[in-house]
Amino acid sequence: MPSITRRTALQLATAAAAGLPRFAIAQADTRPVITIAVQGIANTNTLDNLREQSNVGERTSLMFNERPIDLDYTGDLALRPGLATAWRRIDDATVELSLRPGVKFHNGDEMTAEDVAFRFSPAMAFGDTRPVVNGKTLPVAFSAIIGQSSKQVPAEVPPVARRLWPGLDRVEIVDRHTVRFVNATPDVTIEGRLAAMGSEIVSRRAFEAAATWLDYARKPVGTGPYKVREFTPDTALVLDAHDEYWGGRPPVRTIRLVQVPEVAARINGLLSGQYQFACDIPPDQIQTVEQNAAFEIQGGPILNHRMTTWDMHEPSLRDPRVRQAIGHAIDRQAIIDGLWAGRTRVPAGMQWEFFGDMFIADWKVPAFDPAKARGLLKAAGYKGEPIPYRLLNNYYTNQVATAQVLVEMWRQVGLNMQIQMVENWTQIRAKTSQRGVRDWSAGGTLNDPVGSIVSNFGPNGAAQQAGEYENAEFSRMCVVLETSADRALRRRAFKRMLEIAERDDPAYTILHQNATFTAKRRDIKWQAGPSFAMDFRPGRFAA
Amino acid sequence: MLRFLALRLARAGVTIVLVVTFAFVVLRLSGDPALTIMSPDAPPAALAAFRHEWGLDQPVWVQYLRYFGAILHGELGQSMRDGRPAMALVIERLPATLMLTVPALLLKIGLGVPAGIHAALHRNSMTDRVVMAGAVAGFTVPSFVLGLLLVLVFAVHLGWLPSGGDDSWRGAILPVVTLGLGGAGILARFTRSAMLEVLGQPYIRTASAKGVPWRLVVRGHALPNAAIPTVTVVGFMVGTLIAGAVVVESVFSWPGVGRLLVVAVSNRDLAVVQCVLLLVASTMVAANLTVDLLYGLLDPRLRGQATAGAH
Repeated sequence: MPSITRRTALQLATAAAAGLPRFAIAQADTRPVITIAVQGIANTNTLDNLREQSNVGERTSLMFNERPIDLDYTGDLALRPGLATAWRRIDDATVELSLRPGVKFHNGDEMTAEDVAFRFSPAMAFGDTRPVVNGKTLPVAFSAIIGQSSKQVPAEVPPVARRLWPGLDRVEIVDRHTVRFVNATPDVTIEGRLAAMGSEIVSRRAFEAAATWLDYARKPVGTGPYKVREFTPDTALVLDAHDEYWGGRPPVRTIRLVQVPEVAARINGLLSGQYQFACDIPPDQIQTVEQNAAFEIQGGPILNHRMTTWDMHEPSLRDPRVRQAIGHAIDRQAIIDGLWAGRTRVPAGMQWEFFGDMFIADWKVPAFDPAKARGLLKAAGYKGEPIPYRLLNNYYTNQVATAQVLVEMWRQVGLNMQIQMVENWTQIRAKTSQRGVRDWSAGGTLNDPVGSIVSNFGPNGAAQQAGEYENAEFSRMCVVLETSADRALRRRAFKRMLEIAERDDPAYTILHQNATFTAKRRDIKWQAGPSFAMDFRPGRFAA
Repeated sequence: MLRFLALRLARAGVTIVLVVTFAFVVLRLSGDPALTIMSPDAPPAALAAFRHEWGLDQPVWVQYLRYFGAILHGELGQSMRDGRPAMALVIERLPATLMLTVPALLLKIGLGVPAGIHAALHRNSMTDRVVMAGAVAGFTVPSFVLGLLLVLVFAVHLGWLPSGGDDSWRGAILPVVTLGLGGAGILARFTRSAMLEVLGQPYIRTASAKGVPWRLVVRGHALPNAAIPTVTVVGFMVGTLIAGAVVVESVFSWPGVGRLLVVAVSNRDLAVVQCVLLLVASTMVAANLTVDLLYGLLDPRLRGQATAGAH
């Protein structure tokens, strides 16, 4: 018989005292563990939204992160208090935030103005870039770039941060729970930017404690309802409930996001009970899932529009009437009914209702009018010259099928588009003699046109930078939108931009609003919102 | 013998250099990692910064020389997407892949070789036809079709096994069976035809005529002589241990080297692709070398030829 000394007895008693309460808590935690099958977790293998600016990154970000201003994701996407309880304008270039007291990071620290200011500092975001002045983004100084093993942010982060915050000069700390965002130029979009991806607040102490930037970015310490337990790139992201969450006790104990690239594998995993949610379900699989009464599809239109764009310098596309004809030849509703099971819609051009007073309600995309399209082509002297259409293999949902439908619609009016399958974006954008038309999408990254039409087609946007489009008046209007605080003037400028880019001298034509679909068990109470983000905050989930 | 080995190794080295060069040229000329990793909508300045950081703004030949020089110094580079050494990424995924491919190889050998021998010894019988029909089905049905079929039956309808993932050892059963059945079919076909050829040889008839029991004829004369083509095929299968499960890993969401390779190729993450290719090429070369040496053990005549050829 083993002898028990007094010391052993004391050790056993201590262990029991320490162990029992934990065991009791574990026993009491009856919250479910859920597994979500996703196509991808992060394109860049990091979880910092100043690098991970993707749709898949948006899906998970708000599970472990929060922004100063929140959006009503289950409603109209209006601004509402987040980590800031209130905000007010000091002047056209300054917004003051009152931070929510008592908010705890995942490491137990209280969030303060120090953390907010640090997030928007050169050390964590902007590097040595400077604010945009007169519509021009200043270049990055490459000499400051250090490798991935350094604590300094990767070279690509400052330009991303600067695009999200082109005019931000500094963040001033007023007191422990008050900060001021000071812009170099007037900017009416500061509040919108505080609610957009890239404004997630993380713990300064945790960032400084991480050995490298990569270590931080693989396990960011935020304030969201779930904390990162483990991130295995290209494989899984495991999140545990953050029970000190200011918004209440999270309803799920553990969320496991597993990367399952194949659609069939995601659906099979859902049907076999291995996953509770399967994301990125293509429309043609909706019926397959819903044939089983135990499952349903959630989701619909999101803040993203699919469009056809082009190189206006392609010989056949130089005449704007040919580009106008492209828009009038498309029966958008037929595409929605045929390929999207009617589950999305034709939007009012490159804008969304959550633009508020900047939304041009009476604006419409070009009407489906084949006769008008034929007339425009005839007037332009177009005689069926081939126009290349570089196409990726379903980078966007339904992309190839949509392209085939479009080519047929265009053929009906006399446009000779010729599909050229390519493998990647380099080949799409290669500036050869004939670049023709291509597919693209635009997201409503913030509640103002500067986040979409200016960002994509403005002087610093990808289209102009790639030499696909230019229009002097359009570019001038972009600067008005970026720098003017006169709301009426900005609204007029935006309307004129829509007229130019979608009608007079077209830069693109909108096809339809994008949609995303998530399959789930019917007995789980959860509602998808109009974005990629999945919301599992208190009150948003019940099983 | 040493010269024989040295020649083989030199040829293997040239093969590996060619593989690495080919992969470099194809990947570098067919896509821009900045656009795939940073997304096509990234600000032009961010794309430029990314390219500069990884030396992608240099001429291709400069990039190649730098890359090759680094390899000679034992430096296989860092993943542009992950920021970590490429070799560390590959090694991290290797156990998961071997967890599928090694049992699958054993299944191929354990199922395919006996089935092939049995079919040959009972030529034109019902058993022979059944085995061969199964073998043909095994290697003609694509692995992604077989995999999805197994998932539908055993995961979705019966609920006995997980449909994918590496959460437990049970998750490996369906992918191992998928990989194993196809390979077993190939081995069964090869073993059967090798056995049939040997069984028709005069020395088999002679041994039988001398009254040697049929069991001993098969074990002592037929099997060793039929082993050479079978060993060749098995050697090839050993060579595919590292990257032979690309499709199956995708179907079953198995986080192994195959999936890493797919993601790395689509992102043009050159260092990772090269690292995998180097490992695959090295494994293949080593397997071929081992098979060559095994030939000598199995057939003394070949041992003599190899030695003669080396002198």
